Amino acid sequence: MQGTALRLPAFLALFACLLGLVFAYNSTADYASHLDRQLHDMHCSFIPGAGTTTEAEACRAAMYSPYAALLKEKYWGGIPISLFALGAFTFFAGFSLYLALAGARAPKSAVAFFTAVSLTPMLTSAGMLVISLTQLGTICKTCAGIYVASFLLAVAGIWTFVASRRVAVSDSNALLPLAWLACLAGVTLLPAVVYAASMPDHTKYLAECGVLKQPIEKHDALVKMRTSASRQPAILFEDPLCPTCKAFHERLVSEGMFDKLDVQLALFPLDDTCNWMLDRPLHPGACTVSKAVLCAGPEARRVMDWAYEEQVYLTRAGKAGEPTLREVIRQRWGNDILKCMDAKDTTVRLNNHLHFAAENSVPVSTPQVYLGNRRVCDEDTDIGLRFTLKKFAPEVF
Amino acid sequence: MQTESEGSSSWIAPVAGVGLALVLLGFVSISVLSNVSAAEARLLTPEAENKPKVAVAAQAEVAYCTPQFKQVLERVLHACGLAEGDQRRGCKPADVKTFASISDQDFNALFTPLKDRGGVLRFDMGSEELDAGSKELLEQRWVDRKGARYFFVVARASKTGTPMANRQLSHRRANSVLFHLKEVSKDPELDKKVGLLWLGNEFAQLSEDYCSWPNSRPNEKCGEEPINRSAFVSWVDCRL
Repeated sequence: MQGTALRLPAFLALFACLLGLVFAYNSTADYASHLDRQLHDMHCSFIPGAGTTTEAEACRAAMYSPYAALLKEKYWGGIPISLFALGAFTFFAGFSLYLALAGARAPKSAVAFFTAVSLTPMLTSAGMLVISLTQLGTICKTCAGIYVASFLLAVAGIWTFVASRRVAVSDSNALLPLAWLACLAGVTLLPAVVYAASMPDHTKYLAECGVLKQPIEKHDALVKMRTSASRQPAILFEDPLCPTCKAFHERLVSEGMFDKLDVQLALFPLDDTCNWMLDRPLHPGACTVSKAVLCAGPEARRVMDWAYEEQVYLTRAGKAGEPTLREVIRQRWGNDILKCMDAKDTTVRLNNHLHFAAENSVPVSTPQVYLGNRRVCDEDTDIGLRFTLKKFAPEVF
Repeated sequence: MQTESEGSSSWIAPVAGVGLALVLLGFVSISVLSNVSAAEARLLTPEAENKPKVAVAAQAEVAYCTPQFKQVLERVLHACGLAEGDQRRGCKPADVKTFASISDQDFNALFTPLKDRGGVLRFDMGSEELDAGSKELLEQRWVDRKGARYFFVVARASKTGTPMANRQLSHRRANSVLFHLKEVSKDPELDKKVGLLWLGNEFAQLSEDYCSWPNSRPNEKCGEEPINRSAFVSWVDCRL
């Protein structure tokens, strides 16, 4: 009976580890699949083992965030942290089975060690949860699965410790915990080492996306967003109502890169009101918001940031019609901006932005990023961003 | 101190634990390796259909850009020096006749689709001065560029006067338009956008029907003489 008191928490720990392994495996598989530089559906469900889905925005946001992987400058996409979870849960699964089978024969030091280290996944998960809530504003379901598994493992660890105080536990060699700790470290690192050793080198693909034929806009129409920290010239083709542009912009900001770029913004609204390259508006109202950005002068960055922050609202206003959208802009930025937006010069300037895109045969898709003259491939603007920047613009680090 | 497990071998638990860890570790490592290798294989031999085709930004190309229209446009633009930019500017009637290789009527018919895109700037007899109405219409049309690459100015003169005088007059009218555009647009690339043709009274005279086209003097009497004292201006939405 005394052994059973220890076995129950050990089996709970084993269950938690297997659960954690499933979620960590899904997360790792999603990350690894993107090493082919394509877009893929992702696992994003609370149900362990559920298939991939296109409805995975929160999981995609987490994957693209700077917190999802380590050593992103050294390896394209970095080393996903889920690999460490895979290793750690593997170790804990083995140790849990050992405790479950050993029962009362488990040495005191083993129980103490297990209790102590079983809290580490939960502490790590707590940190990631805080980051998710405060930095990403969303929780990815796959990550949540790992958090739950970590929590259960911690509960099992504490339960094991409590149970061990009521049963007779044999004593053992005090050096064993050091050996186990070394094993834990080794097992935790091994999947990451395998991943890093086997991943393809993306360097040769980075420069395959061409250059700007005419990098200078001769009418001086582009919006300059230089800061005191700017070091690397960059031209960004963006649409203020494009969600991907917003995500990219937030990624640059959260990576601490935006201010280090000497940005020239070429507005490329995907709205047929001003953009002849489309036969229907992908982002209704984007031309109007783009004019507001142009009219903000030195405050252009603020208007652009506002457009991204309020993108959902502005998109809805854009769909409701031009007067609604103009009223939203007027309420936030005043009457003068509307006067400027109606001026011929503003129409011509926005048109010059679009012709700049046409003269450079830029893909009709946003965002498009050019570091100096060199186009950053779309595939390198998310998980491979830091790696690409390190190669093309090391001075921003 | 043994309790309920007394009698069972003490090595089973650690071996089972290590065994499970090794099995899981092997599975995890092989899975990671396999996922990464599969991605690498896709990277090295991408399937064409997996790559979505993205359109490329370009100037506008609309329905009236028929091969015939583009042929004339190209001949005129290149022959008149627009593409090269610095040697000569504009085409006189003889040039247009030679390079366009097209009859008067066919030449005018090519511009019919531009009726609403363009405008006719009307002048006083013997004058090349743009009045306020002409300036306003010209600026309006200039701003409404959209995706066009070239802006055409086709200046004419009425039958009154000698061909030589009319040729010079229509040349001055074309230049008036260009100078005004230079003044208002401050566009450093203007010379690469604007194509000038001056036809005098020798080629492609407009019929009275063109009085119904948008023009700078909509409330003034119009006829075959006044409508040819003019410069037709329009962006042309064709790629060459």
